[in-house]
Amino acid sequence: MNSLPPKPSKGAQAARLLAALVLLSVWGGALALAAPQAGGESAVRRMVVQTILSQGAAQQKSLGTLSESGSKVAHDVLMAWTRGEIYLIHPTDNSSVPVLLEEQQDSTGKARAIRIDTGQIVKDAHGRDLRFDPNALDTADTDMRLRSAIQQVLDALTLADPDPDARRAAVVKLGNSQKRAYIPVLEARRAKEPDESVRKAVDEAVALLQLADPDPAVQVVAVQQLSQLNSIGSLDHLKALAANPATAPGVAKAAGEAVKALQRHIERVNFFGTIFRGLSLGSILLVVALGLAITFGLMGVINMAHGEMIAVGAYTCYVVQNLFGAGFRFAITLPFTFFGKQVGFGLSLPGLNAGGWLYQSYFLVAIPLSFLTGALAGLVLERTVIRFLYRRPLESLLATWGVSLFMQQCFRMVFGSNNVDVDSPSWLLGHFSIHDVSFGYNRVFVIGFAVMIVLGTWLLLTRTPLGLLIRSVMQNRDMAACMGVRTNRVNMMTFAFGSGLAGLAGAFLSQIGNVGPSLGQNYIVDSFMVVVVGGVGSIVGTVCASLGIGTVDQVLQQLLQSPVVGKITVLIAIILFLQWKPGGLFSTKSRSLD
Amino acid sequence: MIKLPRILTAAAFAACLIAGTSLHAQEKVVKVGILHSLSGTMAISETSLRDVLLYAFDQINASGGVNGYKIEPVIVDGASNWPNFAEKAKELLEQDKVAVIFGCWTSVSRKYVLPVVEKDNGLLFYPVQYEGEEESKNIFYTAEAVNQQATPAVDYLLAQGKKKFFLVGTDYVYPRTTNLVLLKYLLLHGVPIENIGGGLDKDSTGKIISAGTYTPFGWSDYQQIVSQIKQFAASGDACVLNTINGDSNVAFFKEIVAAGLNPSDCPVVSFSLAEDELRSIPTTNLVGELGCWTYFQSLKTPENEAFLTSWNSWLGTESYPGVVKEKRAVDSPMVLSYDGAFLWKAAVEKAGTFDVDAVRKVLESGAVSFAGPGGLITITANHHATKNVYIGETKANGQFKIIKTFDQVKGEPWLLKGLDEQLAAQTK
Repeated sequence: MNSLPPKPSKGAQAARLLAALVLLSVWGGALALAAPQAGGESAVRRMVVQTILSQGAAQQKSLGTLSESGSKVAHDVLMAWTRGEIYLIHPTDNSSVPVLLEEQQDSTGKARAIRIDTGQIVKDAHGRDLRFDPNALDTADTDMRLRSAIQQVLDALTLADPDPDARRAAVVKLGNSQKRAYIPVLEARRAKEPDESVRKAVDEAVALLQLADPDPAVQVVAVQQLSQLNSIGSLDHLKALAANPATAPGVAKAAGEAVKALQRHIERVNFFGTIFRGLSLGSILLVVALGLAITFGLMGVINMAHGEMIAVGAYTCYVVQNLFGAGFRFAITLPFTFFGKQVGFGLSLPGLNAGGWLYQSYFLVAIPLSFLTGALAGLVLERTVIRFLYRRPLESLLATWGVSLFMQQCFRMVFGSNNVDVDSPSWLLGHFSIHDVSFGYNRVFVIGFAVMIVLGTWLLLTRTPLGLLIRSVMQNRDMAACMGVRTNRVNMMTFAFGSGLAGLAGAFLSQIGNVGPSLGQNYIVDSFMVVVVGGVGSIVGTVCASLGIGTVDQVLQQLLQSPVVGKITVLIAIILFLQWKPGGLFSTKSRSLD
Repeated sequence: MIKLPRILTAAAFAACLIAGTSLHAQEKVVKVGILHSLSGTMAISETSLRDVLLYAFDQINASGGVNGYKIEPVIVDGASNWPNFAEKAKELLEQDKVAVIFGCWTSVSRKYVLPVVEKDNGLLFYPVQYEGEEESKNIFYTAEAVNQQATPAVDYLLAQGKKKFFLVGTDYVYPRTTNLVLLKYLLLHGVPIENIGGGLDKDSTGKIISAGTYTPFGWSDYQQIVSQIKQFAASGDACVLNTINGDSNVAFFKEIVAAGLNPSDCPVVSFSLAEDELRSIPTTNLVGELGCWTYFQSLKTPENEAFLTSWNSWLGTESYPGVVKEKRAVDSPMVLSYDGAFLWKAAVEKAGTFDVDAVRKVLESGAVSFAGPGGLITITANHHATKNVYIGETKANGQFKIIKTFDQVKGEPWLLKGLDEQLAAQTK
């Protein structure tokens, strides 16, 4: 739903222009072959416009004819229509022209409009492109009923979609409709379907529709088919069939067995699903805590502002997103006067107004930048506050707590106290399924991301000269200093690195939750929990603890069917565990630690 | 010679002062309390209510005040601290001697204020959707009761052919009570218990004490719940009734989108997301999902259009400290606050006095109505309001498209008892 609509790219526009030229040449009788295709498209376009502008029964009827066109244009426009992205402009008082707005907006939020009936940009009398503000335009409205009618047309269109996933989704939807009228459509599809998984989905849908067949023999075959196909969607239908006294006894028995088999299948799906979700939650914990494992675990600084370093990363994502879009600006007036003058400052950065893949790639730019801003914030914090407090943990706790409050207030002043919008790039939305276990792209991404940064951290600590210096300073600061290591500088670099990792975590969190001034507060406790359970000073411990806590949390949520009880149980388990092993999973044994 | 002008100016100044105060004394003034959180976690929502009340009072004063008395607002800060609400209410009633208080957002703050207004025989107008099961003689609830929000939404979904309902909410009194009402309501309307998702809590005797899945405030991990919803919705005709509060909704809807659940298959009806909240949530994830309130900013009635124009021009000219002027949205709690001010004014004018007992009597008589931006609103004998209920679909610009209107629904606070009796009668 969130993925941006397939709006015509520059290439498509050029193609359309070409098509128009072709059409012109057809007029001259030169290229007769191209005529049916181009003419077909403009006919479809006219039909779509007619559908959008008509009402009631006429609308339903023209929708029906669209479903037979099999046209990509019709599909894209209908898709945009269900999303409320078709706008109406009124060249004269009582005429409406439906248009699509281009994704690319100028600095005032206006965009060029493409007429649906011609596929051309809307121009004024002088041939200049007109620009429109989407919020000022009427949308071509749809209601739930119309949308489900459009959906059916889309289903029929997507049954012929080149993308097998889209075809499969359409097939499943038709199967759930419980309308036996779809059986011939689906069987026709099966006959020419090249993709194995779509054929399986067609079988499932047909069997589901056949459950309503009056002939018990057909029903039994359908039930067995569904059981073999592990069709979760049919569970309710099968249960109803088994419980219905009007069902033939043979069918009821078969349905009962199928229900049992399906429940076993669901248990398996939940088992693997839970493990995956546990890994993904564990990876989030890991990403969030890894920075702390360095600043707290290795350096021994109790950094209460760690959460704000995460927020710095998340806000960096927001700023980068705006720079790819309409630009970023803020202005602050300080609440006091200086020699009778209001004091304030602000910043205004122009945006790229990018669209399409360029805009979608903003996140790739945001990731390294969020590391850098996090590291920079850490550097400043280390130089100004923490370096004076290395041997005074209690004071550093209080000081960093103060810094944390200060930074939250800064976020409020610059970005406002409300949460800010961070759009997920379209390639992070959606999911794929293996045997009904669904894997969200963003979740798979975070697992990959966690593996990468753990690997990166490990390489840095064990394979680089800086890593060697870091380890020596962390093991024995005085001895390292005696050997000529500039411990001051190593401290600074290490703290900046840990904070940079927190910034990276923020970039990722912006994709799964909300970004607001108190973002960091939600993760600071979890971060300390993970580091303490893993064993202070041990990166391996942090990895094991985060994955362990994540998995146990998800397993308990699944077993207890309650997120709150699950979380409480995890916390109690952690308390008991720390009673048993106060040093955590991997306690560091070193002579320098008392 | 030099001193004379100074004495003259001083005398003139003093004269002006005296004139000023005597002028001021001639103007009759009534004090009215505004009790909202202007700091703390609830400030984001509640400051909007203070703003709209100030606007209502300015409007009332400009048209001659209440019974010839100008309203003087006394603004106190509840500070998102519930016992503090009780303190401040006491201060308003006993020190400032206000005629009426407009205030509270969370149910818990109202529960703290309730004994104070009852003891001092004050008057409180409460404007935010709540769980019902309460009826104080000193509180008037312009708020949506459960039968003005949650049950009409269920009626609509049943009419759309939905057969399976999944309940999910934040763990506190409003979602729990609402979901319990909804559970009974669904059972009464023939939805079998296995088609109600989210799980049931039973006490030791096997009596159902709550239904649905709950997460704490600020929860961000909805993977498990959404995967449950997905399996629940696999067989089609399912929907989700969402009473999640606050920014947890962002994580919830991001997960819904990631799981590929779209509103044409499995719509989500949210009871705590109005236009004001949608300003801070990426609405692209929400397009097509449903909301149910007794007011939407997109209402195309003359009253609403006039209200919005006048509100925006007020925002342009007002000079109260702390009122945000840009990117404002109007939503149901704001309009119900505004309605409350005018309902109180109408009642005072009818009673001819600010006396709480007299005003209450007039309001209870059912004769006080106001044609507000959301339609006609009338206070009834049970201290709740009769008003229109609307169901809307979220659009990409954070507004709602109204798809269904229930005309003049009477607010009923005591739903659980009635539903229990009806269910018992049905099983016999």
